[in-house]
Amino acid sequence: MQFEETLKRIQTHKGVIGTIVVNAEGKTTLDNSTTVQYAGLLHQLTMKARSTVRDIDPQNDLTFLRIRSKKHEIMVAPDKEYLLIVIQNPSE
Amino acid sequence: MGIAPDITNAQPLRVITEDTCLFHYLVPAPMSPSAKSMCSETGSQDSGDGNSRTLHWDPDPSTLQLHSDSDLLGRGLRLGMAKVTQVDFPPKQSVSYSKETQTPTCTQTHTQAKPAEEEEEEEMAEPKPAEESQEEKADEEEKQEEVAPKDLTEEEKMQLLHSEEFMAFFDRGSRIVERALSERVDVCFDYSGRDLEDKEGEMQAGAKMSLNRAFSDERWSKNRVVTCLDWSPQYPELLVASYNNNEDAPHEPDGVALVWNMKFKKTTPEYTFHCQSAVMSAAFARFHPNLVVGGTYSGQIVLWDNRSNKRTPVQRTPLSASAHTHPVYCVNVVGTQNAHNLISISTDGKMCSWSLDMLSQPQDSLELVFKQSKAVAVTSMAFPLGDVNNFVVGSEDGSVYTACRHGSKAGISDVFEGHHGPVTGLSCHSAGGPVDFSHLFISASFDWTVKLWTTKSTRPLYSFEDSCDYVYDVMWSPTHPALFACVDGSGRLDLWNLNNDTEVPSASVCVNGSPALNRVRWAHSGREIATGDSDGQVLVYDVGEQICVPKADEWTRLVHTLVEINENRDEGEELAAQRLVA
Repeated sequence: MQFEETLKRIQTHKGVIGTIVVNAEGKTTLDNSTTVQYAGLLHQLTMKARSTVRDIDPQNDLTFLRIRSKKHEIMVAPDKEYLLIVIQNPSE
Repeated sequence: MGIAPDITNAQPLRVITEDTCLFHYLVPAPMSPSAKSMCSETGSQDSGDGNSRTLHWDPDPSTLQLHSDSDLLGRGLRLGMAKVTQVDFPPKQSVSYSKETQTPTCTQTHTQAKPAEEEEEEEMAEPKPAEESQEEKADEEEKQEEVAPKDLTEEEKMQLLHSEEFMAFFDRGSRIVERALSERVDVCFDYSGRDLEDKEGEMQAGAKMSLNRAFSDERWSKNRVVTCLDWSPQYPELLVASYNNNEDAPHEPDGVALVWNMKFKKTTPEYTFHCQSAVMSAAFARFHPNLVVGGTYSGQIVLWDNRSNKRTPVQRTPLSASAHTHPVYCVNVVGTQNAHNLISISTDGKMCSWSLDMLSQPQDSLELVFKQSKAVAVTSMAFPLGDVNNFVVGSEDGSVYTACRHGSKAGISDVFEGHHGPVTGLSCHSAGGPVDFSHLFISASFDWTVKLWTTKSTRPLYSFEDSCDYVYDVMWSPTHPALFACVDGSGRLDLWNLNNDTEVPSASVCVNGSPALNRVRWAHSGREIATGDSDGQVLVYDVGEQICVPKADEWTRLVHTLVEINENRDEGEELAAQRLVA
């Protein structure tokens, strides 16, 4: 319940285009093909980012990943097993 | 080096012990076992036969020399005990890296990962052709296992969602994401404007004037007209708006003043004040940050204090002949920190000056009459920058008057005629700079025009005739010497820049729904404009930097512009005079 409420609050935040929750294997809670594409690509990128951070300093770990493009801002909050991805349109 | 036995002098061995001694040396085996057997068999002290073969024993135990077979074999083999030195070679270290790539390739079940896996399989298959079939089979099985759980069933989903780890993750992740979402800082902003070149049309239009906030309150401002606006001198984000009565709600107070806050995103007013009579003018008391002054329709002047918890005024002027008995359209606090007065003028021409501590009686009052008989129906008032004595007033009959408060000629001095309708707004030039333009002022009127005047001449310098409706208010920019804003009844907010063009406004925006805009006020920074409309809404616009920020040469350019305007005016008048004569 709390999960749904919070997720809804995030989804209705100003400028948010989409939210995806991904688990370790790259599976999503939605079947939309764009979502699946996003999920897979971002999962790979997050893993690469995490390994980069760890390679530089083994004591370190990735806490937040933010990709700013011309059109959108993609925010990824990683965890050991899951990823929370939020796509926002920053100009609104 | 062994002791070389003297063979010639050797004596035969005499076995002392009975044990058999087997000596394994790297020597050729004794040719005949008879010597040994002889030793063992006899066991007697007598060695027996004179054997040609003799074993020479060296009694010294450290060195032993056997010279068996030496005669027989005649080889002269010498055995020596060698000193053994321990040498230990460490095993050859094979350098190996224990790091592995951390991107596990086998856990990717995504469709894109599948071809990668297949490629791997192919590579693996090549060097081991013999086991190809087996590997393929194994991989296919793996693939099948991975493909199967790709789509989560509802049950699995619900299970996952309620698992502890998921909830912990989501709690943390959503918290961070919400914070990040709310940050609206644009780190990629390019001040050089190169970004803006890409998005030409939109940005340029928006760069002139853009709506920043719209303030209105369901209960207090709906169905009321905004009668006055003022920005706070202490807190640049505070704005007071006064409203007249709500005809649809007779039980609500007739007069309302709301203090709005620009800094925060909340949509409700900071402070709500009301009083019994419609408020026609309001102002922040300049040297008292907590006080808001209001002039009402009944002639009363009210004072609200935001330190008190009351929404009703803390002080009121009396409704008597010594004060005002007509609507007060102008209130202003003039002077310095130590010597200031509240000036109020009502529509019957009476001007009173008050002390903010004591509103029970005016300190001074003055009847503004023109030519000793005609009372001036004052609708607007303005003080030039830095002046506390001289001021200008606009009246309902379309004329503008200059007046002084004190001195021998207290009262109306000059009349400026030019407007054909009641004067609705007045503004004295207030942008300080290298050149002093404080003799300039502008007036707005019902005759659809805005006129530029100088106190040195009773005829208008210029008339701005771009509007198609009553012009309700006008104000000079506090920072830019050649810029002023005006609003009219068709919902238009115009910005005029005298240095650019005097024929048309430099920027113009039309408010949604085209309500009549009653008031316009520049913020003290000169970057924002607030307008109040007839629907009770206060709109705050951001003015683009290119327009509102003055360049260093604006003052000198204005001098030239004024000279031009003057010349044109004189020419125009000459032509008119010639025509009259002719």
